[in-house]
Amino acid sequence: MQRLSLRTLAGLFFLAVLVASMVTAAGTLIVTRRAVAGFVDQRITSESDEIAEPGVPVTRSAAIGRIQDASRRRDSGDIGFLLVDEAGRVLAGNVTLTRSLPLGLSTLSVDDRIPGLTHGRALVRDIGSGMRLTTLAETEPIQNYRSARVRIIVGGFGSIILIVIAGILMLGRLISRRVGEMRHTVEAIIDGDMKSRVPVDGSGSELDQQALAFNRMLDRIQALMASISNVSHDIAHDLRTPLARLRANLALMHREADEPRLQEGLEAALAESDQILELFTAILRIAEVEGGDRRAGFADFDLALLLADAAAMMEPLVEEEGRMMQVQQLPEAHIHGDRQLMMQAIVNLIENAIRYTPPGTRISVGLSVSGALARLTVEDDGPGIPADLRADAMRRFGRLESARNFPGNGLGLPLVEGIARLHRGEMTLENAAPGLRVVITLPVSAG
Amino acid sequence: MDLLLVEDDRFLANYLSQELRACGHEVMVAHDGHAGLRAVLEHKFDAVVLDRMLPQIDGLSVVRTLREDGITIPVIMVTALGQLGDRVDGLDGGADDYIVKPVDVDELNARLNALVRGRGWTVSETDTITAKDVTVSPARLRAWYRGVALDLPKLEFNLLAELVRNADSVLTRKMLCEKVWQYEFEPKSKFVDAYVSRLRRRISDQAGDDPIVTVRGLGYMIRA
Repeated sequence: MQRLSLRTLAGLFFLAVLVASMVTAAGTLIVTRRAVAGFVDQRITSESDEIAEPGVPVTRSAAIGRIQDASRRRDSGDIGFLLVDEAGRVLAGNVTLTRSLPLGLSTLSVDDRIPGLTHGRALVRDIGSGMRLTTLAETEPIQNYRSARVRIIVGGFGSIILIVIAGILMLGRLISRRVGEMRHTVEAIIDGDMKSRVPVDGSGSELDQQALAFNRMLDRIQALMASISNVSHDIAHDLRTPLARLRANLALMHREADEPRLQEGLEAALAESDQILELFTAILRIAEVEGGDRRAGFADFDLALLLADAAAMMEPLVEEEGRMMQVQQLPEAHIHGDRQLMMQAIVNLIENAIRYTPPGTRISVGLSVSGALARLTVEDDGPGIPADLRADAMRRFGRLESARNFPGNGLGLPLVEGIARLHRGEMTLENAAPGLRVVITLPVSAG
Repeated sequence: MDLLLVEDDRFLANYLSQELRACGHEVMVAHDGHAGLRAVLEHKFDAVVLDRMLPQIDGLSVVRTLREDGITIPVIMVTALGQLGDRVDGLDGGADDYIVKPVDVDELNARLNALVRGRGWTVSETDTITAKDVTVSPARLRAWYRGVALDLPKLEFNLLAELVRNADSVLTRKMLCEKVWQYEFEPKSKFVDAYVSRLRRRISDQAGDDPIVTVRGLGYMIRA
């Protein structure tokens, strides 16, 4: 069965309440109208019976006398009587009729032109000896009362419907707010903020429990992710002492080896172990950066000066490697951060630009500030990275097929990204058309 | 020189002391902080190589204790891999330099030489420093080689001044990166080499040749 959407469900619910209210209101109206009409009918019947009890013969003069009596009495003064004989001649009464009414109960209207009567009921009976008695009463006050009753019912049920509408809207807003909060959290996590959680108001409501369960799930996922990333860190950490010993042994053997072939082999082994140790340094460096402890040493500095420093530092090498270094306009941009790490990030990016481009490539560093964000760019006009491979390039140990021939360990960009994140910023790869543009966006410091 | 090595890992202590002896130093080994402190008080060393992580009292406390007692012996702190924060702590605690594990003995030797030789050297900012044919004046940002006044950009001047200041000691790329550029990371690229060759070219262009010696696989120096 297809599930109903929340909106449809609310609509159906509202429709059901509306129909039920209308049926109840109409029913109430009809039933009370009938009850009131029955009361009037009862009254004229009993007044009619006063004049002539059914089944009891009554003389003409007695009937006339009773009608005159009743017309004078206060409690029955509003009742109209008309007594006629078999020829239709009026014997007694206080009203005149413009038409002959049928036997039994009937309804009178303004068309009957009875003075002072717009709505009424009449009872016509044959009371013997050829006499026909008509008893009538006006129902106008009852009619007025009915319109008041309609107002009461419409008002009453109308307000109930308004309350229901308000309730549905409020419930809808509550639900959409809570669902929205959850969606924001999910989006934040997709954007890489694993620390984001759904707000909990502590009410213990179903939605609150849902949010708590959701948050517990996120805690678990975060813990699992952390333990995965810790694995490489732990391996690097635990293996560094044995590796240092291995390297030391190789170095001692190398010192004592006198045979050239043995020396050569040991040199190669030393170079390999140095490479492994370098990889471990990179892993531990990323772990340190991701740990966030370095934030304790953050200080304010001008990114423009740092970028100019980095460009000046790397310029001779860039030139020696046959590439060109270009420094764009660098507006002042103070950030709160770690100069050493930021320098490392920029130098890494320039090193990458040298390593993965052909000679003749132009490497350009730039900086712009818009609002509270500084945008640092290192770009080249080399071959670039196709859009579908950029995620791979940013992955840890993720090395593109085209980069296999170059030295490197696939930890350069992840370290830069880690440094950007440490500074509450982010790193993205863009198409510089042609070439690659690495963008680091960072919040500028408030002061 | 006479060295004290404080290292709790007996294997690494053995290896490092052998290597340092091969570099021509006398080495005494202590395996924990207490033994290290006792050795400093009982013997006379030129420098201490001190592991940051030690049983009982760690390297940081050892160097603090030494400095509090007014002992100014040069100390090189050996810190664990990937713990950049520790290095700063070490220097704040009174160490003169630091080196990261696994220890490259040539790098350690270069730093020991620079540290011990550079110690007695105190010149005021207005002085000129001379190493054989090279004279630099840090205050005036001027340099001369064989009497020829050299026209050098600031960073290249700083590079030359650093080499002259530590004349006869090899300065590794890492040491130059720290001293000239004041950045502590290990440069993977050869940007220091590119700078040195540019400096050498510039001096050669102006004075015919240059005084900088390349020590293969290690770094650069200027002879006194």
